Amino acid sequence: MKNPSEEQSSMQEKKGVSRRAFLRGAGLTTAGTVALSAGLLSFKLEDAKAPPAILGPGEAEVRFVVNGQARTIWVEPRTTLAEALREHLSLTGAKVVCDRGSCSACTVWVDGKPVNSCITLAVDVSGREVTTIEGLAQGDELHPVQEAFIEHDASMCGFCTPGMVMSCAALLKRNPNPGLEDVKLATSGNLCRCGTYPKVFEATLAAAKKMKK
Amino acid sequence: MKNIHASGHVRGQSVFLDDLPVHEGTLYAAVFGSPVAHGRITGADLERARALPGVVAVFSHEDIPGKNQIGGNIRDEPLLAERELHYIGQPVFLIVAEDEWTARRARLLAGLQYEALPAITDVEEAWGREQFLFPPRTFRLGSVDEAWEHCVYHFEGEAETGAQEHLYLEPQASYAFPAPHGGMKICSSAQGPAEVQHVAARVLGLPVHRIEVEATQLGGAFGGKEGQATAWACLAALAAWRLQRPVKLVLPRQDDMRMTGKRLPCRARFRIGLSRALKILTYEATFLLDGGAAAGLSPGILERALFHATNSYYIPNVRATAFCCRTNLPPNTAFRGFGAPQAMFALEAAIARAAYELGIPARRIQEANLLKEGDEFPYGQRARQAHARQCWARAEADFDIRKKEKEVEAFNHQNASTKKGLAMMPVCFGISFTKTSMNQASALLHIYQDGSVGLSSGAVEMGQGVSTKLAQLAAMALGVQAERIRVETTDTARVANSSPTAASSGADLNGKAVQHACAQLRRRLLETAASILRAPLAEVDLHAEQVWRNGRPTALSWEKLAPEALQRRVNLSAQGYYATPLICFDREKEKGHPFAYYVYGTAAVTMAVDCIRGTYATEEVCIIHDFGDSLNPDIDQGQVEGGVVQGIGWMTSEEVGCSPDGRLLADSLSTYKIPDIYAAPDVIDCRPLGAEGPGMAALRSKAVGEPPLMYGIAAYFALIQAIRAFNPHYRPGFRAPMTPEKVLMALYQDENAAAL
Repeated sequence: MKNPSEEQSSMQEKKGVSRRAFLRGAGLTTAGTVALSAGLLSFKLEDAKAPPAILGPGEAEVRFVVNGQARTIWVEPRTTLAEALREHLSLTGAKVVCDRGSCSACTVWVDGKPVNSCITLAVDVSGREVTTIEGLAQGDELHPVQEAFIEHDASMCGFCTPGMVMSCAALLKRNPNPGLEDVKLATSGNLCRCGTYPKVFEATLAAAKKMKK
Repeated sequence: MKNIHASGHVRGQSVFLDDLPVHEGTLYAAVFGSPVAHGRITGADLERARALPGVVAVFSHEDIPGKNQIGGNIRDEPLLAERELHYIGQPVFLIVAEDEWTARRARLLAGLQYEALPAITDVEEAWGREQFLFPPRTFRLGSVDEAWEHCVYHFEGEAETGAQEHLYLEPQASYAFPAPHGGMKICSSAQGPAEVQHVAARVLGLPVHRIEVEATQLGGAFGGKEGQATAWACLAALAAWRLQRPVKLVLPRQDDMRMTGKRLPCRARFRIGLSRALKILTYEATFLLDGGAAAGLSPGILERALFHATNSYYIPNVRATAFCCRTNLPPNTAFRGFGAPQAMFALEAAIARAAYELGIPARRIQEANLLKEGDEFPYGQRARQAHARQCWARAEADFDIRKKEKEVEAFNHQNASTKKGLAMMPVCFGISFTKTSMNQASALLHIYQDGSVGLSSGAVEMGQGVSTKLAQLAAMALGVQAERIRVETTDTARVANSSPTAASSGADLNGKAVQHACAQLRRRLLETAASILRAPLAEVDLHAEQVWRNGRPTALSWEKLAPEALQRRVNLSAQGYYATPLICFDREKEKGHPFAYYVYGTAAVTMAVDCIRGTYATEEVCIIHDFGDSLNPDIDQGQVEGGVVQGIGWMTSEEVGCSPDGRLLADSLSTYKIPDIYAAPDVIDCRPLGAEGPGMAALRSKAVGEPPLMYGIAAYFALIQAIRAFNPHYRPGFRAPMTPEKVLMALYQDENAAAL
C-alpha cells in the first residue's frame, strides 16, 4: 500500500498529464485559443505558438513588480493574485469578499488596468506590473481620487473602498473627462453594501475636475 | 468633521480582522456543516480527514470542555451538533489544519452518517403544526371587534416579505489565541464583544474574566454580527484552547451565506377598517415570522414587529399578534430595522389594498391617519415631540409631491412601454433596546501626559461612524481638537459588560457614557487650573485647547495642563456610565414606556418600469428626515442614503429562495443580488426636518442607523403603481421582493390570475 504522500504525488502527476494534454489541444485549435484568450490577461497570439510552461506540482516562482518594487515569491500555481498579495506580501488592502469576481473589492491594477485579483492567478502576472491600493498614493501625497473619497465621505465601513478607489482612479487615467454614466460603468462591478454609491459618483467627478486643474 | 477612519480606508490601511498580522504557528479552521435540513446523526467518519497531511485536529461536540450551548435567553442552540441536525450548514465538526486550503480540503474528506427526517421549510406549515420557538405575543389597544362594526369600509388580506441576506462585505471572522496567565484572547468581527466573551466562557467552562474579546473595526454588520458572531468566535476559541495554539476562522463567502441566518421572512394577515373620512378605526394583524432553527435574537425581533405594527399612524383599535415559527433553516436574526420593516410593510399593504378598492391614492389614507402629539401607541407609550405630520407636510411642500404625481400621470399617459409610479412612506421608529436592561453603557477615558486622549467604549465601529461621533463628543466636552482623541478598538478588558452596538443606539448610549467620563475629567482639570492660576473655579474655563480666565486666554494650554495635573497627582482617567432614564416595559401587560424617543421621517420614491422587459429603475428618492440636531450631518446623511438603498434592495432584487429540502438557492454574490451602482437611485434628496432633538439623544443628535431602511418600502408600492398603470388587471399580492421576473409576470397578468 502506498503511503499518503506517494498517493498524493501520483495524483498530482496524473493531473499534470491531463492538464498538459488540454493545453496542447487548446494551443492547436483556433477556436480554443480565442475562447481561452478572452479569459486571460492580455493573452498574445504569438504566445500560443509555444506550448505554455507547465507549472506544478509544487511551488512556482513569480517575479513581478508590485507598487514599483521588484518582488519574487514562490506560490502554489493555484494561488490567486489576491492571496499572493495578502498572504505572501502582506498587502492586505485588496479585500476578498466574494472570491469569484462578482464584487470587485479585490481590484488592483495589472499593467495599469483594473482586474479582479481574486480570479487572477498569481502565476499569470509574472513579469507584469501590479499596483495595489497601498501603492496609489505617492508617499504622503494621496491620489486625487483618494482625497476626494475623504472629502466627499465616499466610504463607510471601508471594505469596498480600496477596490472602489482603484476602479475610479483607473477610469480617470483612461478618461480624464468622465460623465456620470462613465463613472457608473467603471464601477458597475464594485458592490458596496453600505450604500455609498451617490458619494462615489460625487467624489470621482470632483477628482476628475481637480486633476484637470 | 470627516470620518476618522476615511484616511485608512482610502489607503487600504484600515485593519479588519483578516488583515491582522498572525502569530507564529497560527492554525486555520474550517467548519463542516450539516448536509441535511433535518436528521439524526448515526455515525461519523473522520479518519480520512484526520489523515490528510497538514490536518492538526478535527473537533466535535465531545471536545467542548464547558457547555455546548451558544443560545441567548433561550438556550436552544448547540455550538456543534450532538445527535440532531436542524438545518443545512449547521456546524457539526471543526477541522483545524496548518493552512486554510488544507482545512477546507479535509472538510471534503469528512463523512457524516445520518438518518434524514422530514424538514419544515415553510412558515405556514410550521405555524399549522404549532412549531414555535417561544410563545406568541399580542399587543392590544381599544376594542378591535367592536370598532369593526362601526367601520364603513372593511378590507382583509395578506402580505409577505422575504428573507434578506446581510451581505456585510467582510465575512464572519475570528482569531483566538492563548493569552498569558491561562487566558484566551479572541479577536472577533462582532457587534457585541461582551456577548461573545460571555458565551465563549460558557463553552470553554472558564470564568468570564479569563476571556478577552476585541473587535477592531467591522466591514459592515447590519445586525448580522450581533448574535451571529458568537459561533465562529467560540469555534476558534475551542480549537485554540484544546491545542494551545492560535487559530483563525474566516468564513468563505459561500459558507457565510449558507451557515448564517437572514432577516426573518414574515407572512402577515391583516384586517383593516376605515371610517368614511378615511380614518383607520381598527387594524388587526397576525405575523408569522420565520425564526429558522433556533431562537437567537428573535424574541426581540418579534417584539419590535409588534411595537411598530402601527408605524407612524394613530389607530385607536389594534390587535397585533406575532408568532415566531421554527423551521429547518439557519437561525434567522437581526437585520437593520429588527422586525419593524416586516410589520410596517404589512400595514402599508393594508392601506394600499384599501386605496385600490376605494379607487383613491394611498397617500390620502396615509395622511389622514398620521400620529399627532400625545397619541397612544398600542403598548401604552404616548407620542411626544411627534413629528410625523411635520415630516409629511414638509415632504409634500419641499418636493411638490402633487406636481410630481401629475408629472408621473402625464408621463404614463404619453408613454406606452415605460410606466412610472410614485409612493410615499412615513416612518416612526422607537429608539432604545426594547429589553430595558440593555440600555446602559460605559466608557473609559485616559488623558496621557502629553495631552493626548485615549477613548474606549462598548461601541463597535462598523461603518456607521460611531467612533467619529464619540471623538467629536469627547473633544467638545474636554475643549480640545478631535485629533487629540484616539478611539480605541472595542475590548472587553477595557470596557466590560457592554451591550451590543445595535438598535441604532450605539452613539446615544456610548456617547452619553463618554460625556459622563469627560465631565469628571473636565471638573478635575478645571480645579487644577484654578489652583495653578490661583483663581476662583467660577472664573476658569477650558476650551479651544486653552485655559481661559474671565473670558480671556491664559498662558496655560492643554498641553501644559495635562502634565501639570499629573505632577499634582490628579487622576487623569475616568470611567463614565449611562443608563437611559425613564424607560420601562411590563411584558405581562404588554404596556409601558420602552423608548427614549422616536425618529420620524417621510420619503417619496419614484420608480420607472420597462414594461417590455420587466426591469425597473429607482428614479428619485426624496426624504425629509428627523435628525434632531445632527452631530455630524455628513455621516448621518450617509446613513440615510445607505439605509434607503438597503431597503430598496430588500423590496426589489434581493431574493434568497429556498428549495423544499431546505437548501438556500442564492448562496453567493453571483446569485444574490444586492443593489449595485445601477440599482442605486440617481437622486437621493434628503433634507433635515430641522426640529430640535430630544435630550435623551447625545447632544440632541438623534439615532440614525435603522429608520431610513424603511423608506425603501415605498419602492415596492411605487412599482405596484407603475405596473397598474400598464396593466389595470394586475392584482397585487403584496409579496416582496418584487424582482424583475415578478414584475414582468405582473405586467402581463390577466384578470383571472391569482394575486402576484
